[in-house]
Amino acid sequence: MGDYTLLYILFAPFVGAIALIFVSNRQTMLVRGIAAGSALVSLLASLYLFFTYDHVKAGFQFVQRFEWSRQLGISLHLGVDGIGAPLVLASSILLFAGIFVSWHIKDRMKEFYIWLLILAAATIGVFMSLDLFFLFFFYEMSVIPMYLLLGMWGSHTKKYNEMTDPEGLKQRDSVGFIFNFGSNSKEYAAMKLVLFLSAFAVAALMGILLIYKYAGLNTFDILVLREQAKLMNIPVLGTTLDKIIWILIFFGFASIAPLWPLHSWSPVGHAAAPAATSMLHAGVLMKLGHFSIIRVAFEILPETTRELMPIAAVLCMFSIVYGGFVAFYAKDTKYVIGYSSSSHMGYVFLGMAALDYISLTGAVMYMFAHAMATGMLFAMAGWVYDQTHTRDIPSLGGLSNRMPFISGCFVIACMASIGVPGTVNFIAEVMIIVGSWNKYPLQVIVAVVGIVLTLAYLFKMMRGLFYGPMDQKYSHAHDAVSAADRLPLMIMIAVSIGFFFFPMHLYNVVRSGVDPLIAKITRVVPVAQTGEGSGVRSEASATPRTSDAPLLANNPSPLTPYPSRGSE
Amino acid sequence: MTFALTLSSSDLLLLLPEILLTSWLCLILIIDFSFPQLPNEQLAYFSIAGLVATLGCLVWFDVAGITGTLFANMFALDRMALFFKMFVVGSTILVILASIDYIHRFKFFRGEYYFLVVMSALGMMFMASANDLLSVFVTLEFSTLGFYVLVAYLREDIASNEAGIKFFILGIFAAALLAYGISLVYGETGKLVFSDMTTVQASPGLVIGFLLIFAALGFKIGAVPFHSWIPDTYHGSPTPVTAFLSIAPKGAAFAILLRMFFVALATFKPVWTLLLVAVSILSMTYGNIVAIAQKNMKRLLAYSGIAQIGNVLIGLATGTKMGSDAMLFYLLTYLFANLGAFAIVIAVSEAIGSEEIDDYSGLGRRSPFLAFSMLIFLLSLAGVPPLAGFIGKLYIFIAAIKEGLYVLITVGLINIVISMYYYLIVVKKMYVNEPHDRSPLKVSGPIKVVVYVCLAGTLAIGVYPQPVTDWVVSAIMIFSNVADPTASLPIPPAILPFGG
Repeated sequence: MGDYTLLYILFAPFVGAIALIFVSNRQTMLVRGIAAGSALVSLLASLYLFFTYDHVKAGFQFVQRFEWSRQLGISLHLGVDGIGAPLVLASSILLFAGIFVSWHIKDRMKEFYIWLLILAAATIGVFMSLDLFFLFFFYEMSVIPMYLLLGMWGSHTKKYNEMTDPEGLKQRDSVGFIFNFGSNSKEYAAMKLVLFLSAFAVAALMGILLIYKYAGLNTFDILVLREQAKLMNIPVLGTTLDKIIWILIFFGFASIAPLWPLHSWSPVGHAAAPAATSMLHAGVLMKLGHFSIIRVAFEILPETTRELMPIAAVLCMFSIVYGGFVAFYAKDTKYVIGYSSSSHMGYVFLGMAALDYISLTGAVMYMFAHAMATGMLFAMAGWVYDQTHTRDIPSLGGLSNRMPFISGCFVIACMASIGVPGTVNFIAEVMIIVGSWNKYPLQVIVAVVGIVLTLAYLFKMMRGLFYGPMDQKYSHAHDAVSAADRLPLMIMIAVSIGFFFFPMHLYNVVRSGVDPLIAKITRVVPVAQTGEGSGVRSEASATPRTSDAPLLANNPSPLTPYPSRGSE
Repeated sequence: MTFALTLSSSDLLLLLPEILLTSWLCLILIIDFSFPQLPNEQLAYFSIAGLVATLGCLVWFDVAGITGTLFANMFALDRMALFFKMFVVGSTILVILASIDYIHRFKFFRGEYYFLVVMSALGMMFMASANDLLSVFVTLEFSTLGFYVLVAYLREDIASNEAGIKFFILGIFAAALLAYGISLVYGETGKLVFSDMTTVQASPGLVIGFLLIFAALGFKIGAVPFHSWIPDTYHGSPTPVTAFLSIAPKGAAFAILLRMFFVALATFKPVWTLLLVAVSILSMTYGNIVAIAQKNMKRLLAYSGIAQIGNVLIGLATGTKMGSDAMLFYLLTYLFANLGAFAIVIAVSEAIGSEEIDDYSGLGRRSPFLAFSMLIFLLSLAGVPPLAGFIGKLYIFIAAIKEGLYVLITVGLINIVISMYYYLIVVKKMYVNEPHDRSPLKVSGPIKVVVYVCLAGTLAIGVYPQPVTDWVVSAIMIFSNVADPTASLPIPPAILPFGG
């Protein structure tokens, strides 16, 4: 362990995937064993990572650096700070849980686990990259497995299956001459997801290339760039370069978050995906967006972040409200959970936009908490779908008689998703709301309305699935009884509740990552104002920052950067 | 121009790879005629042996640093020439391996097939060394001659004949343009050797002359607007010939383009950058958009090839050393991905007799190995990490952004997304759609070898590109006159590891 922890976490799933290639699909238990084993290695190592992360020392720990390409200035530079560490843990928990959730997959199980492991490993890779190139490398790498997972093991929506008559077939294939798979099919969902994310990823890549060029340091290393890159006040196209880069980076990565109005790929993607993929997707893949924005835009362009982050504050309101309302009216379980995820990601954006110690800490904790909550919901939606072969809420009902364990867990998952005290989501939500109140009261009100909405649609879905009269054709449905089926839910519930009662380590770790970042963003001298759009901006910068003073005093070292900062 | 031909033994050494291959070529022909009953595989392995020996010789030259020029600068053997020669010989070996099963489709002249392939390879080896306009003309025609026959090798097949006619007519047309261009340039400057032209003054005749030469070379590499022969020729040719045509001549032509633009026309860089930017944008966009509509795998790869050439031209358009490094790197990644994809087209068409994309349905169930390899090759062509194509694209973009070619990069990035669509359509057919017929496919040994080599190349370069980047950087050292200072910057400041 020790120094090489990150390598274990990152490469265990890859090694597992490679080992699976040489195993036959007929040896079911061996396939499951290898997948679960490699996920377990990753999980144990990330537990070690999370609990030995030294929040007093803060900064990037467990750093590994390998020269990768001299000519291009790329090195495989890994390390986690207080923001990355919990997300790495969340990814490996969800991977481990996802292996068990997909325990009963019959069709091409080996291939399924291979792609699932690669997806999770790529996600984990983003959370620990300290090199812009590798950040993008892993980010892009996580997109393609999604295509195969959705396409090969996904499911069509109800509408698609209904349209089997000649009239319907025509209707189903009429959406666009290019996307002629039919808009409700899994192929459409997979293709839309990949093209959407790739299109925005190349925008982010453009931003990264611009940083590389204008920093002129011939390196992609984030730690070097954030100290030495001078990207401010370069006039380009009537505005300044840093703003263009920031916009490219922000919207490039916000598409996966998914920020309204870039969210449309996400619910169809969730709906089509198999349960374990939805879990990883909503649980951690979406957080790649927030994380990359924090890692790239916040670290390298702090001044611009302070100036332009109100964009996120405006858009996050639409995310919260729009996602909530659509989730309320959606009839497909996975659509409900998918839209609820995209609505909840709005809270994270709110926490980020306020640029406050408490709110950003809350946002990062919310990412962690939401990973557990949404992971549970998707796992159970997947279970219900496997048992009943439908996700249509009106046709379901009364399943609590058939599956008491699942319906009990579902209640807990709903509680967690809403943010009821007793789950770590509550702490995170309260921190976001408290932290953002000073700067964005309107958004906070919207967020509170969003919580009410969450309550409404989740309870509505719970009632529709588990209570009321049951259609007799589902009488064969059975509960999760074996240990392998119950384990993933138990793990996620335990984590969600456990961190409510013992949140201090999580809080300290996240706080140690947030403090230097916010200190850097709020401390710097204001940049020259261009005049346009000053309404929002002046509101942002004119907000009194006195409320931070006691917080700064409380913390041992918010303003003292890492020991070797600038000494390169 | 007086021309005294003196050849010492050390000069002959420089020609050793070509001499070796020429004598081998004669041997192939003699053996073919002397032993008509010899099985074709024997002749194929015999040709491969000769090519491997040549490759070994080239590697030795590269390692030992044997370089020089011959015949009053007409023939230059520098490390870049060695790179392209290895490129050509390597791809020829893979193509011959991939042809072994396909050859039974030829009714006649099976032995001569290998002769013609190796002859074209020999021509392209000379192309890589062509250092003046006369040798450009001679070597270009020499290498194309073999292809004229190869493209029409399926004599019973109307499509193959059509491909041959189209390729021949347009090829002759390109040759005429080249000859006319050369005569104009010679008339204006009185010079033929590239390195003597660095001081020439711009004049209308010179501009037209070089434009004509560029058009002829553009025909070779298949860049828009000189691409019109590509789809039909690729479609109609025997598939191994298509594979060969799609990679080796392009590499050799890029060697000439590099010498022409970076040496002869170095002073006119601002002008030709614009030309190349335009051609590159057209190639990428046209190739990718038209590829979307394709129903045939070979046509899809043909159009994707046009788009890939657009990407390579980005590197040329930068006009910097780094750009040319990136070009070489990209061509190498393209070699593996493209030849691998064609090898699978051959394997599938041998097994099910079809090259339609629709017949790839359910390939993931019928032959997981072929489908997975195809997936890797297509994703490498699309530029997805951790595959070689991604590093290649990024290398090119980094070189271009250092020169500030923002429009070009934006178009290139958008094209990545467009290309993703049609590559994924094939992936969808292979993995998502159910097969019409569930019988597993048989893959023969030689094809497997080709696929394994290409897989290894694609993955290894993608996971750790440092050895290859070192190689291409040292191969392009001859262009240090155009090198930008940033390309030779020392390693970025080391970062002290801090924390646990």
